[in-house]
Amino acid sequence: MGTSCGLFAVALPLRRLLAAEAWVHELAARLTRFSSRSELSRLNAAAGEWVVVSDEMEAVLRAALRAYELSSDLVNAAVLPAMLAAGYTRPLAQGPTTAMLGGAGALPPLPEVLRVRDGSARVENGTGIDLGGIAKGWMADQLCEMLGPNALANLGGDLRAVGDGPSGGGWPVGLTDVTLMLRGQGAATSSTRRRSWREAHHLIDPRSGLPARTGLDEVSVVAESGYEAEIIAKTALLLGPELAPAYCAARAFAWWLGESHDG
Amino acid sequence: MRPLLLKIGATALTLGATAASAFFVSSHLKNPAAPLQPAVLSAGNGSSTSVLGGTVVVGPSVQPTDEEPITSTYAS
Repeated sequence: MGTSCGLFAVALPLRRLLAAEAWVHELAARLTRFSSRSELSRLNAAAGEWVVVSDEMEAVLRAALRAYELSSDLVNAAVLPAMLAAGYTRPLAQGPTTAMLGGAGALPPLPEVLRVRDGSARVENGTGIDLGGIAKGWMADQLCEMLGPNALANLGGDLRAVGDGPSGGGWPVGLTDVTLMLRGQGAATSSTRRRSWREAHHLIDPRSGLPARTGLDEVSVVAESGYEAEIIAKTALLLGPELAPAYCAARAFAWWLGESHDG
Repeated sequence: MRPLLLKIGATALTLGATAASAFFVSSHLKNPAAPLQPAVLSAGNGSSTSVLGGTVVVGPSVQPTDEEPITSTYAS
């Protein structure tokens, strides 16, 4: 998935930590779009047909559909064609490719192009799914369940912390330049300052199909879970500086809004 | 005779239920001051901490600390 992972736990046998690490590797291999052999790539390649999917893939796809609802259509996993058009065709460590944004347009409503039923899923022709942040937040939450009552899982910046942490007051987590003690909470940052190149970046505005330009270029939030934090942070960034404060105040436990220097 | 009594009884029962319902409703008017909506934090309800480039708003369920963070949301 082109990102890093950190697992922390108190009083956990090493074998369980290693089992969790193995689960991360296994699931990342299934959910990446950067391998043509991954489960996600096979689903995208079979557009127009029902494809048998694993339990985990089904759960993440359902999470993506729910994220679409929770974000009032702003978190849309049918973003793959737009990301490819922006030049994000391979891991950024290998460099972006030429952006071709001339034909950009609003993304289709996710429920119209992604259908999920027990054990199978279908992506409609002409679109593609990228599970990116949704998968990371979902995985962080799952990992905390696996790691026990006092643990923290950080999947590329989408994290969840449960329990009292190593010193009893919670898990100290950096959110921009402050440190917050998290206990039974998740956190995430959505940013266009990273994973950006030339005039483009990875965060697509589903209303235009183009890299987002909303006046915010970074949002960090603390919420109930890593999954929710990911959704809230991305939605707030896409809402922009006028609406994001009230949105975050209603949904997040803590938040940071970074305004774009270029307005 | 018996069908007529049944009709009268049914009518009386209906009218009685209607009157009782009307009395109940009129004596239980909606309280406009009732907390019908869940409380929503306003942007000003959290404590604000100034950092380089802006402000972090922290609600009551999250505690800032001076401890060194063990990880951050900037992992990628």
